[in-house]
Amino acid sequence: MTQFFQVVILGLSLGGIYALMATGLTLIFGVMRIINLAHGVFMLFAAYITLLLFNNFQIDPILSILITMPLMFFLGVGIYKTLFPRIIDSPRYMEMTILLAFGLAMIVEGGLGFFFTGIYRSVNPSYAIEIFQFGTFYIPKAQLFGTLVSILLLGLLWALLNYTRIGYAVRATMQNRAAAQIVGVNVERVSTIAFGLGMALAGAAGSLLSVLFTFFPAKHWQWIAILMSLIVLGGLGSLMGAFTGALLLAVAAALVSHYLGPTWQPITFFLALFLVLLIKPEGLFGKKMEEG
Amino acid sequence: MSLLRVENVTAGYGVGPDILAGISFTVEVGKTYCIIGPNGAGKSTLLKTICGLLRPRDGKVVYMGEDISHLRPDQILMRGICLVPQERGLFPDMTVRENLVMGGYIIKDREILEHGINQVFNIFPILKERGSQRAKTLSGGEQQMLAMARALMLKPELLMIDEPSLGLAPKLAREIFDTIRSFKELGMTVLIVEQNARKGLAVSDWGYVLDLGRERFEGKASEILADERIQELYLGKK
Ligand SMILES: Nc1ncnc2c1ncn2[C@@H]1O[C@H](COP(=O)(O)OP(=O)(O)OP(=O)(O)O)[C@@H](O)[C@H]1O
Ligand SMILES: [Mg+2]
Repeated sequence: MTQFFQVVILGLSLGGIYALMATGLTLIFGVMRIINLAHGVFMLFAAYITLLLFNNFQIDPILSILITMPLMFFLGVGIYKTLFPRIIDSPRYMEMTILLAFGLAMIVEGGLGFFFTGIYRSVNPSYAIEIFQFGTFYIPKAQLFGTLVSILLLGLLWALLNYTRIGYAVRATMQNRAAAQIVGVNVERVSTIAFGLGMALAGAAGSLLSVLFTFFPAKHWQWIAILMSLIVLGGLGSLMGAFTGALLLAVAAALVSHYLGPTWQPITFFLALFLVLLIKPEGLFGKKMEEG
Repeated sequence: MSLLRVENVTAGYGVGPDILAGISFTVEVGKTYCIIGPNGAGKSTLLKTICGLLRPRDGKVVYMGEDISHLRPDQILMRGICLVPQERGLFPDMTVRENLVMGGYIIKDREILEHGINQVFNIFPILKERGSQRAKTLSGGEQQMLAMARALMLKPELLMIDEPSLGLAPKLAREIFDTIRSFKELGMTVLIVEQNARKGLAVSDWGYVLDLGRERFEGKASEILADERIQELYLGKK
């Protein structure tokens, strides 16, 4: 039993970071109906920035969030403004955005491969190999810090969404885009900001990821696949769903990995994706898909 | 002076055909108008075009002497035109109160916003009781009231309501029409689209019959109600 709880603790301590990743993706999907297939590659982009900052200036990878987040926010705003307005009126908007994000992912992956080569990297501050011991349980320091930072950021996002004017506008646009326009929300501006915020969350996730996982440029396909299963389980477009889906699957993956062996771990996500689509396609918190 | 003039407007969706095929009409201050016509006639499309959700392909919309055809919806709203859309347009996971806050989204002053919320709570006391309930959990009648209350947050010059009685039991529909009549007493200019043509015309001064994107007839609401031809074509037998 102790063993079981230990595995659950390890799962939860990764779940916070998965939730951070999934939330960024969901925010972008919810506001713009864009499935941002480039979310994973931008996480890796931030991870490489974090690596550079650590190797060259000894900046702590978790602290470097203060740099990667704003950097990614502005990068997101720039990308959105240059690429999306020209297709927004297209009747094939949805298909085009998927191709656009896909192309973006390929380009960034190529760029990362060019500058950093394909070798496995990770950022190794001193605490990367230390653990906290409490009673019979333990938790790796990096995972604990990572999860605490994730929860802090998600809390800030929650406050932003619930207590600020722009937060109201973002939520309104997610729930009913046409109605948001009717009450005077400039949905183009909200979309730009939401895309920036989603990218900033990808930035934070990338910095945390750089300590917790090894990475190489093509690794982002694996990440985006995992993220898709998290947000489909929670219900596409639901922030609460993304959060819950992330925690559930993180724990499930940890348990599978412990009891069946690590090779089975990736299967957990895809099996969950498959089962959800088969049994409850709208996910845990999602609306039934009726309106386009 | 006329408040709104729609001049020869054609409009449609995406690359699709023209849904409005050259519509013209005028709205005078303080009157209530009712647009009737069969399903698919383009009634909702007309309202969407007026408030900027859809750009006219040709012709223009003139409001208080200004051409507003190329303004964004939020800019048109700022000038005093509010729409209550056919699907009510509520934010389902927001509370009643939050929906009203969104109704006053373009009001930046918190005090004016709070004052506005209190005023609409006075008009619709039931909404005050339901203040912290999510919009999607309201009954159909309450949702329609919330949709109208939300539009009232801005004290619009011109209020447009698309199918106010849609899906409501007769008693509730009557309440909604009573409310619309009271708007007129407040001096507001109101434009409604209504399936229930008799009820809609009964609360209006002027009626328009729209069919296949064209205006078929216009006149005093009481005259349209009495016209036998129109009765046969659009109102159904008594
Ligand atoms: N978003 C849209 N995209 C494409 N076509 C649309 C869209 N909305 C409406 N239409 C088409 O425009 C035509 C007119 O629709 P509209 O909603 O204006 O009719 P209406 O008179 O309001 O009808 P109803 O009484 O059923 O509400 C219909 O043929 C409809 O299929
Ligand atoms: Mg309609």
